[in-house]
Amino acid sequence: MRNVRFFGNVPATKSRYGSHYGEKIFEYRGERYREWIPWRSKLSAMLVKGHEIDLKGNEKILYLGAASGTTISHLADIVDEGILYAVEYSAKPFKKLLELAKIRENIIPIFHDASKPWEYSGIVEKVDLIYQDISQKNQVEILKLNSHFFLKDRGRILMMVKAKSIDSTAEDEEIFRRVLEELSKSFDILLTDSLEPFHKGHIFVYGRKV
Amino acid sequence: MLKLRYNLWFGELGEVLEVSKDLRKSFEGAKNPTPLPFNVSELGLKVFGKDYYGLLRKIAIEVSEEKVEKELRSDDKYVVALVKALEEIEEAMNNLKEKKEELEEVRETEILENFSGSISNLERLKERIEEEIEVVMQRISPNLVEIAGAKIGAKLIEKFGSLENLAKAPASKIQIVGAEKSLYKAIARIKRGKEAKIPKHGIIFTHPFIRGLPKNKRGKMARFLASKISIAAKIDLFRGELEEGLYDSVKKRFEELRRL
Ligand SMILES: C[S@@+](CC[C@H](N)C(=O)[O-])C[C@H]1O[C@@H](n2cnc3c(N)ncnc32)[C@H](O)[C@@H]1O
Repeated sequence: MRNVRFFGNVPATKSRYGSHYGEKIFEYRGERYREWIPWRSKLSAMLVKGHEIDLKGNEKILYLGAASGTTISHLADIVDEGILYAVEYSAKPFKKLLELAKIRENIIPIFHDASKPWEYSGIVEKVDLIYQDISQKNQVEILKLNSHFFLKDRGRILMMVKAKSIDSTAEDEEIFRRVLEELSKSFDILLTDSLEPFHKGHIFVYGRKV
Repeated sequence: MLKLRYNLWFGELGEVLEVSKDLRKSFEGAKNPTPLPFNVSELGLKVFGKDYYGLLRKIAIEVSEEKVEKELRSDDKYVVALVKALEEIEEAMNNLKEKKEELEEVRETEILENFSGSISNLERLKERIEEEIEVVMQRISPNLVEIAGAKIGAKLIEKFGSLENLAKAPASKIQIVGAEKSLYKAIARIKRGKEAKIPKHGIIFTHPFIRGLPKNKRGKMARFLASKISIAAKIDLFRGELEEGLYDSVKKRFEELRRL
């Protein structure tokens, strides 16, 4: 992926910015890198497990559940010529996200509830990718709504799913099966895998709008 | 004929585009019931040229910064007010039910239907408030919700007055808060030289991990849970982000105690 390089088993993103959440900064062949630990970020875990998604650097991305911006800070390094719309509804992590948005020119912070995309429908443009990491019971529904409002035809989705937040009683496998079944009504599933051992009870799903 | 109008962050699009004179206001009002049939950035780039994203980002930061500060100041007050309302409603429902039963014993009267109507109205209101508590708690105290549940978490915040007070309270206080009455009674008995049981749990007593244990193990679980609740409240106060693993440690303790 653009601007990503592995150092041993751990990826890092090429970046001219400083540390955002305590991650290490180092130089390699005259370029600065920010260490991207798989335990801290599900996207990093996905890369460490050998999966890739295609990002050229100029994509428009809608990111749901930005929290304090751990993963977004690396995505911003990757799509350095693109735009990231970062939606988060919880005030405390959002404050930290704002610090990031103030120094990163490609992050647009949006303080809204992702389950109500109509409330930011006149702000967010049509995007190439929707990234979702919100641990909500109805997260598939929320993804579909946002895809209906903002995803380009043949645009892609990348969703992080935590079994326990969808159903705390059923078996993980059963929950993931149901999520995939529900998703495949609106998306072609391109890739899916568990994020263990970095994120317990999580999978990612990568798909394309049909 | 129906005229379509679209609310964009930089203005309103009807037959013509009216560029907003107050971008912060139009940014906040950029809501539309259905997806825009065009790409807002394409239009915006025509209006603002290459400044489009810089301007959008500047407005987005200004508007959300203000909203965030406002919310941080009022969020736990809102939870406190909701919990208080909920308690009042529950009490009112109980009173109504009691009065209704009293009436029923005396006479079959049409008034009884009005009672039932009022009770079911209150029931709906109660459910609505409980839903709202879930939503707000999830946002302001994800860790507390994760290990104590939204309802217990909200009641704790209400008892201590704010998330900050809860986070600063000693775990021993968290463990018994809500059981003050029986605590004072027990102390009074002991002072009089009589035997009494000191209560081991208050609000947190309704937690499934405590109720799911035999009586002799509940005290241990309550102590453990209270200390984890204290940690959860601290993380929620300072960072507000979910900490993976906190719940697992509580569940593990529960399972250990259950097997013992
Ligand atoms: C697991 S965290 C995301 C971590 C982040 N993606 C990262 O890797 O840096 C989930 C976040 O989603 C947010 N969230 C949950 N439901 C949401 C909703 N309906 N709208 C906006 N944000 C939401 C939570 O407040 C929380 O900050």
